[in-house]
Amino acid sequence: MKRYTLLILVILSLAFSVKVYAQQDAERWFEQANAAYNAGSYDTALMLYDQVVATELESVPLYFNMGNAYYKMREYPMAIYYYEKALKIDPSNEDVRTNLAIANLAIVDKIEEVPQSFIVKGWNGLKNAFSGQQWTVLSLVAFALLLVSAFLFLRARRMGMRKLGFFMGLVMLLVFALSVIFAAQLKQASMTEDQAIIMAPTVTVKSTPNEVSVDLFVLHEGTKVEILDHADGWNKIKIGNGSIGWLQADYMRSF
Amino acid sequence: MKRRENWRMPKKRKIVFLQRVNNRPMKKIFGLLVFVLCVAPLTMRAQDDPKLTVSAKKQVVVGERFQVVFEANAEGKNFSAPSFDGFTVVGGPFTSTSSSFSMVNGSMSHTVKCTYTFALQAYKEGTFHVGSASLTVKGDKISSEPFDIQVLPDDGSYASTSGGGSSGSNQGQSQGQNTNDPQVSGKDLFLKVIPSKKSVYVGEQIVLTYKLYTKVPVSSLQVDKMPSYAGFWTKDISDNNGGSLRQSSEYVNGTEYTVAEIQRVVVVPQRSGKLDIEPMTIECIAQIRTEGNNRRSNDPFDIFFNDPFFNRNIANVKKELSTANLSIDVKNLPVDKKPNSFAGAVGNYNFKSDIDKTELKTNEAFTLTLTVSGTGNIELLQMPEPNFPPDFEVYDPKITTSANTSVNGLSGTKKAEYLVIPRRAGTFTLAPVEFSFFNPANGSYSSLMSDGYAIEVEKGMGGEGDDGSIYASNQEGIKYLGSDIRHIMTGKAQLKPRHSAFFGTSAYFVALLAMLLAFIVLLLLSKKHEQQKQDTAANRNKKATKVARGRLKKADQYLKVKDQDKFYVEMSQALWGYIADKLGIERSKLSMDTVSEAMKEKNVPDDLTQQFIDTLNNCEFARFAPGSAEEKMDDLYRKGIEVITKAEKVL
Repeated sequence: MKRYTLLILVILSLAFSVKVYAQQDAERWFEQANAAYNAGSYDTALMLYDQVVATELESVPLYFNMGNAYYKMREYPMAIYYYEKALKIDPSNEDVRTNLAIANLAIVDKIEEVPQSFIVKGWNGLKNAFSGQQWTVLSLVAFALLLVSAFLFLRARRMGMRKLGFFMGLVMLLVFALSVIFAAQLKQASMTEDQAIIMAPTVTVKSTPNEVSVDLFVLHEGTKVEILDHADGWNKIKIGNGSIGWLQADYMRSF
Repeated sequence: MKRRENWRMPKKRKIVFLQRVNNRPMKKIFGLLVFVLCVAPLTMRAQDDPKLTVSAKKQVVVGERFQVVFEANAEGKNFSAPSFDGFTVVGGPFTSTSSSFSMVNGSMSHTVKCTYTFALQAYKEGTFHVGSASLTVKGDKISSEPFDIQVLPDDGSYASTSGGGSSGSNQGQSQGQNTNDPQVSGKDLFLKVIPSKKSVYVGEQIVLTYKLYTKVPVSSLQVDKMPSYAGFWTKDISDNNGGSLRQSSEYVNGTEYTVAEIQRVVVVPQRSGKLDIEPMTIECIAQIRTEGNNRRSNDPFDIFFNDPFFNRNIANVKKELSTANLSIDVKNLPVDKKPNSFAGAVGNYNFKSDIDKTELKTNEAFTLTLTVSGTGNIELLQMPEPNFPPDFEVYDPKITTSANTSVNGLSGTKKAEYLVIPRRAGTFTLAPVEFSFFNPANGSYSSLMSDGYAIEVEKGMGGEGDDGSIYASNQEGIKYLGSDIRHIMTGKAQLKPRHSAFFGTSAYFVALLAMLLAFIVLLLLSKKHEQQKQDTAANRNKKATKVARGRLKKADQYLKVKDQDKFYVEMSQALWGYIADKLGIERSKLSMDTVSEAMKEKNVPDDLTQQFIDTLNNCEFARFAPGSAEEKMDDLYRKGIEVITKAEKVL
């Protein structure tokens, strides 16, 4: 019995150390890739970044730097793809937003976004003010403060403290609820790949998932679309101005 | 007559000039006038049968230009020329008609002469047949005799065989030659271009001189085609004072020529390689003296008129001249050792700077002058630019160029004057300015430095002054020079496994639960603590009467044995202890005031409170004032029991 326990412990520690080594490798590659980028050899940098991606690890700096490398190589659709991926992890990152805006100037399609109601805009703005991780932490903090407030309310001997506890508790309840909702939404978004970037230079969006159906409109590489539905190799997409159509999934890269 | 004349040169370069051999039409007209006056009253005689004769050279050389003259002795019309196969018609037909009257032995003859002249040029060897020309005279058609012309190969000898050339100096010896279509040989008249150099660097200047060499007088010349200078910057530096050409005499192969300089051009190659300069073509009219024996008549006056003195017939021969092809080998400037400040200046220059003042006040101006002088293409020269401190207001420089042209090409001076206004006080340095040029003479670069200056700026009146408000309006937004993506993030990779969001994981819920549990535990603990506290208070309350009774019993015993001290101690402790336990007052805070306050809080009637306080007071007083009577102790004891009993009812 004791021997088995020892064996299990050894296997577990090995697995853990392998994981740690993989992470260290990836971090070394990342640094080498950054050095290559600074030296101007963007293809080398991308090769190294791709190695990091292959380890199933991800981070905002990784995707941001990959986007930059693709931008420098004038592969704007790929640059946009990686900037969007970075934004998915941290929608509040200012650097990523700036570079995405610049990269979006280099593509063909300019789509007028459907104006959102100010409530939706405010909601999304609030949601994108922090990353999912930050919302998660915030929810924990808010919960802790909520409990403190409740304790104050319940146990404080003085009236003022009890009032303070009551109102703080209300606010903290609101913050906790919001942060839980946002964190859940962002996690949901990060788990599903419901957006895509067009990678083919010019594509024609069809009215049905069928090659012989009516041509609706033409999109060019680098345009971001929302994926609404799938049907045997076709995706139902929606572009920023609200137009909807079907496009072969091969033409786009989802994230 | 002097040897050098001025060649007139109007704008279109048509040149007419008079020389000693020139026609003297005045004498001829004078002779004719005498003749007409003499013959006027005489009757006229009919003229001869109409004839059409042709005169032309029988032998020509390839490339030679010659004339074919058809001459009719009557006026006619519908002249048709033969086809001149094998020749190029350079000009013609030039038609001229002249009529003359003559009287022989009292009979008068009227002679009409119509000539049709063609200028031909032979372009290939062989013998060519020229058909007959025809003319209709008074309804009759007359024809000329056909003839052959032999074209000889060009062995360079045709000039001497045709021998038409004569210049002012040797015209007397050329009288023996008798030809109707005079020629000018290439040795007598030619055009030459003389470059100052044939191998240069890019940017180095070359002087091209176009010269006309002649042994014959030239009446006019016209430039047909100006040379084109592809790849060159050009400047005409011809010295045409008052529109006349400069003339000189020059010996070429032992022969003296009159030389006229037609044009002098400075060309500066702008790129490297073998650059061709297309030839210049001019057309000039050479004047050649011929024997004026064209008039075929036996007129006795002919002898008179043919006298060399009277009749110097001059043929104007049009001649097209062009220069040889000229190609210039242009080398690139050497790349190595090229100074950073080199901006394309080629030549030999001096460089200096000058400043009008170095000590001044704010908002006063000073002038910095940079001067480049020397030989080279001063007009295209780029002036070096000085660096001024940022607080200096600098106006665009005033650049003045004074270029001199000489036989050797271009030279001159270029000045750049900078008007500068310092806006802030301080000591500033103007760094020296570097000017570099390539000297083709020694094939190397040279760099010259101007002087540097230290400029002392004192605070002047107004202006920037005390509050700096003048600058408020001068503020500018940041100038963005370009836009680029932001640089990569170079910090930590912060790598995490994909889809590793903490939210929603069991750890997250465990954390929440843990906090909740902690809360509940805390709450329970707090409640229990409270409970305990309340329990002690209740205990004390409950025990208060019992303790007080015990104390009072003890006091009663001491009262019986008359132990005053102990009695008061027990009495006091009984009272204090009872009220403290009953009211939940801590012993340390126990005093008359806290007791009366606490009793008030518990809604104890005022008289009871007063009574209790009085009893306490009495007890304390009696305790520290011994020797009191026995009945006093009894009284206190009774009162003590009374207030405790009363308080027991209320509390």
